[in-house]
Amino acid sequence: MIIVKDVYKRYQTDHGPGDWVLEGVNLKIPKSVSVGLVGSNGAGKSTLLRIIGGVDYPNKGSVDRKCKVSWPMGYAGGLQGSLTGKQNATFVCRIHGHEDDLEDRLRFIEDFAEIGEAFYEPVKTYSSGMRSRLLFAMSLAFNFDIYISDEVTAAGDAAFKNKAAKAFKDLSNRSSMIMVSHGEGTLKEFCSAGIWLHHGKAYWFDKLDDALKAYKESLAA
Amino acid sequence: MNIQQEIKNTTMVWKALFLREALTRLFGRRFSWFWLFAEPITHIAFFVLIFTFIRVRHIGGMETAIWLMIGMSAFFMFKRTATQSMNAVDSNQALFYYRQVLPVDAVLTRALLEGFLMTIEIILLITLATLFGFNFSPAKPITILGAYCGLWFFGLGFGLVSSVVNGVIPESAVAIKFLLTPLYFISGVILPIASIQNPYREWLMLNPVAHGIEAAREGFAPYYHSVPEMSLGYLWILGLIAFGFGLVLHRNYSVKLVTQ
Repeated sequence: MIIVKDVYKRYQTDHGPGDWVLEGVNLKIPKSVSVGLVGSNGAGKSTLLRIIGGVDYPNKGSVDRKCKVSWPMGYAGGLQGSLTGKQNATFVCRIHGHEDDLEDRLRFIEDFAEIGEAFYEPVKTYSSGMRSRLLFAMSLAFNFDIYISDEVTAAGDAAFKNKAAKAFKDLSNRSSMIMVSHGEGTLKEFCSAGIWLHHGKAYWFDKLDDALKAYKESLAA
Repeated sequence: MNIQQEIKNTTMVWKALFLREALTRLFGRRFSWFWLFAEPITHIAFFVLIFTFIRVRHIGGMETAIWLMIGMSAFFMFKRTATQSMNAVDSNQALFYYRQVLPVDAVLTRALLEGFLMTIEIILLITLATLFGFNFSPAKPITILGAYCGLWFFGLGFGLVSSVVNGVIPESAVAIKFLLTPLYFISGVILPIASIQNPYREWLMLNPVAHGIEAAREGFAPYYHSVPEMSLGYLWILGLIAFGFGLVLHRNYSVKLVTQ
């Protein structure tokens, strides 16, 4: 269960504080339900995901995570450029308490990412495709109750995309998801419930179709 | 989350950060570990050579070479801890992506690593110097420990405060660097403060680093005429103040350090 309580968020711009992106978001997201986030561009979908994932912080309000929640998958963040892929992976394994089976996890990450010898090179030498391969492999190596995903299936080249999609499917069978995707098909494939973000507020729908309907009606109006 | 789990998470993060930092510090570049140890030792050896060449045999009743070695190693204990922990937030920016890793964790582990490495370095320095025929007599081990630990602790406090200040006001990094360079000369590392007249000496002794350096020397030579104003308590109190203030700053500004 994730409890989002009265969350307000705005970003600092060059001209002082910007407009509110989120204005009093209240949500209770159950552990066992996969949720799709819908809303127009700039509605605050990614912002909300980042706040739920703990990468960004609200100006006001709080997020209470009562289960194991992943970091947001699908961003380029979380890799220290001066460290090698392996060192980054080792660090992440350690902070998630996998000291004992470190070797196994690292082997899994190396095998899944398929970036060859680059795994032993500093991340700053990676292409963006290689980065996303490594990040995706890293997020698969741990068992979270809820995965947070922002367009994650868009990572890598065609071959990797197929593999990632399959792995993602397996993942969705054992854990639940909170995801953003502009592909309606992807959302329908993975999610049962929906959250519609509109003018800084979040609306919960038990059925994703209702959320999509509300979103489309707001576009037409 | 209960407290036990929080403590477990924090120790996991510290361990991961410590090992990650140790790896880059020692093996980040070719022979990093060699330069890490060679830099202060050659620096000290250079000054010992100069001072013995101009035949200053004794300072305050203490052999000049030993006076220099202790003073400089004590200064480096402060300086390295301070600068390393000050830059800890910048060097780990990407790792704060994982919500269990906080800027304060990076500062603390870096200071720990630096203290650990400096301890090895000082032991190495003393061993080398003993092999070259210098005679160290740690007459007051408690004072020695109190002095080096106090300098480390003050360096940590300095790092905690400056890491936040640098993060919130980026321009301040230049000012702090500006401050650290003359510190080398006014802390009595190569110029004895005891030989300066009052009231100027009292002014110089406002600097807590000078107290730690003098105390370390006194620990190694009981007959040493240290600066009369010297007080280890002063160093520790200022260290505690800086440490506490730094923790409060980190508590209030960590979000600002992590988000863009």
